[in-house]
Amino acid sequence: MSQFLLRLALAGLCGSLLTASAAPYTPSGEATVLERLPLSPADPLARELRALRAGLVARPADAALAAKVAARYFDLAMADGDPRYVGYAEAVLRTWAKDPAPPPEVLVIRGMLRQYRHDFEGALEDLGAAVSAQPSNVEARAWRAAIYMVQARYAEARAECNALSAHASALFATGCLAYVDATTGKTRSAYEQLAGALQRHADAGAKTKLWNLTRLAEMARRLGEPAKAEMHFRDALALGVTDNFLLAAFADFLLEQGRSAEVVALLKDWARSDTLLLRLALAETASKLPSAAKRTKALEDRFAEAGLRGEQLHLMEEARFRLSLKGDAPGAVRLAVENWKKQREPRDAAILLEAARVALDRAAAQPALDWLERTGFEDPALHRDAEALKALPK
Amino acid sequence: MRILATALCALSLALSATGTQAHKPSDSYLSIVVGNAGLQGQWDIALRDLDYALGLDANGNGEITWGEVRAKHEDIAAYALARLAISANGAACAIAPTGHLVDDHSDGAYEVLKFSIECGGRAPPRQLVVDYNLFFDLDPSHRGLLRITQATASSSAILGPEKARQAFELAEVSRLRQFFDYAREGVWHILIGFDHILFLLSLLLPAVFVLRRGAWHASERFGPVFWDVLKIVTAFTLAHSITLSLAALSIVSLPSRLVESTIALSVILAALNNLWPVVGGRRWMVAFGFGLIHGFGFASVLADLGLPRDALLLALVGFNLGVEVGQLAIVAAFLPLAYGLRRSMFYRRMIFTGGSVLIALVASVWLAERAFALKLFPG
Repeated sequence: MSQFLLRLALAGLCGSLLTASAAPYTPSGEATVLERLPLSPADPLARELRALRAGLVARPADAALAAKVAARYFDLAMADGDPRYVGYAEAVLRTWAKDPAPPPEVLVIRGMLRQYRHDFEGALEDLGAAVSAQPSNVEARAWRAAIYMVQARYAEARAECNALSAHASALFATGCLAYVDATTGKTRSAYEQLAGALQRHADAGAKTKLWNLTRLAEMARRLGEPAKAEMHFRDALALGVTDNFLLAAFADFLLEQGRSAEVVALLKDWARSDTLLLRLALAETASKLPSAAKRTKALEDRFAEAGLRGEQLHLMEEARFRLSLKGDAPGAVRLAVENWKKQREPRDAAILLEAARVALDRAAAQPALDWLERTGFEDPALHRDAEALKALPK
Repeated sequence: MRILATALCALSLALSATGTQAHKPSDSYLSIVVGNAGLQGQWDIALRDLDYALGLDANGNGEITWGEVRAKHEDIAAYALARLAISANGAACAIAPTGHLVDDHSDGAYEVLKFSIECGGRAPPRQLVVDYNLFFDLDPSHRGLLRITQATASSSAILGPEKARQAFELAEVSRLRQFFDYAREGVWHILIGFDHILFLLSLLLPAVFVLRRGAWHASERFGPVFWDVLKIVTAFTLAHSITLSLAALSIVSLPSRLVESTIALSVILAALNNLWPVVGGRRWMVAFGFGLIHGFGFASVLADLGLPRDALLLALVGFNLGVEVGQLAIVAAFLPLAYGLRRSMFYRRMIFTGGSVLIALVASVWLAERAFALKLFPG
């Protein structure tokens, strides 16, 4: 009890000190640490990046080098969700900003960066140009397939996967096709095929394995086999590759299972990523932790800050935030509808259906209902929401 | 205990800061305040971005200390201000750094660069053009979040590589508005300026009495009381208006330590005169004499506020009238109460004698603090 009181008092005191320092100040001493850099200059990766950038200063038109540096920064951004690295990568490619026909390696990474900014048309243009120049460019085809999936253009995605099978590893092509199949109503067979392919290619690279294991886990979850799903998630985590998307997917799985305490433990050091902070706030709220309110407030501030920039890269997350943490179903519906205009993956449909069900707004959910009908996508949770919506008077 | 708690706090904040700092695209926060006396700027730039551009982490240990930032202050100001151009009514403004602070935003610590913006010309600008080019070469997703604040309106804009140069029409500040701004400052200053209030109160406390044979007696009629108050307030007003104007127009200036000490002394003397009366019906002369000094005190406030170059007189009159309105409010609250209570022991003992003793004591502390630059009481 006294421990609790002491903490409470400390929290109050810190709070007042914090508000007191919510204005520009002069730090107390020379040695006061103001900022910790995400990459220490002594870090091997930082050294490598420095060397690469120095090379680029000497040879600014070296397309292969520029593409390599940009890809390194993009990997960093994907690993822990730090968008500044995306900007650094874009800066590296500015040499080709006005070039009517940049080299394929530049086109591929620029396409990846454009899809990050949700400029899907621009990305498809770059990737298409890269494929035209190099039909065997696996990366360009894979990213193009991924964008078609986001846009729910399944026939085109499938064609891309088929084209991949001629140039990429069997696992790569199988994973690509399995993802399309699993989204269009053939989850069971897709799962079996991908699981088999993964077993046959135990020597595949960690990143490829991670992507495929994450997909397998999600398929197993939707097939109602949580134990298998968890096994795949844990195998993916055991690869030791930091991946923001994997952590988010695993956290969503645990939240659905009502295992919020495990999510808190998994993500407690990940609050700096917006997408993971959302899961952390959801988990802390479900666990009724006192820190939940602070997390929710922090998340709200982040969305407000993104709004200041005029940027809406996390509409889906913001919709979920509105719905589950602010109890604002109509607001969530508006965001989910806006999000659906650009992004049409299963999780985009899921939030639109859920928000609309809570808001009793069948009309808003119609595009997602149509999508569910058209694809035959299998997920019990989505179908429960869809049935509830269809029961509403038109 | 307080130090211990603060240390604990700092520790827990430092620990949590590493875990809760947001990942955010690079933004800077640029603020331009268009005031009556000119333009001022503040620019919050992330230390992390400055490190990427300039290399702040001198010892390469992955931590940026205040010492490392301070050592680079000149470089930071030169780097940033070379990438910002502001022009007013078509003419370029001169920008110069005036100070460096630090602030914490959701994604970490920021350099706070304060700068002056000198655009020439007497009239306030009608149009501002901001040309922003910070970091776009290193990170094209960087944005400058601009806020232009005026007394009556504010506007904001997002400055990016495609929209690096933007023009802003400023709301015209009406003369009337300016006048009322300064009047409000005047009212505010007299209401929070305890030394002026206490001086006035010391002179007003005996207004409901008459001095006969060296002792205070309750007045019989309201008429003489009212005239006494009117004379005191008018004399005080006249006097401080004169010196306030002279000081504001830079015709006369006195060292502020002398002014502030004399003001404290004036409060002591006025309060002591109530306890051991020397001056009776001619207290208006005291009000006038010391009012001259109080005027210099007001002038220093006005100097801090800044005076519009194109509407000097207007601001001066506005501020003066504001002070008078504040004074009248004090008198209006005080006089009926004092007159009603003047025969009571409560007024004589508690308010008049007790109040005067208290005022003299407080003013003595001020005098000691101001004359010898001491700090006797915190706050």
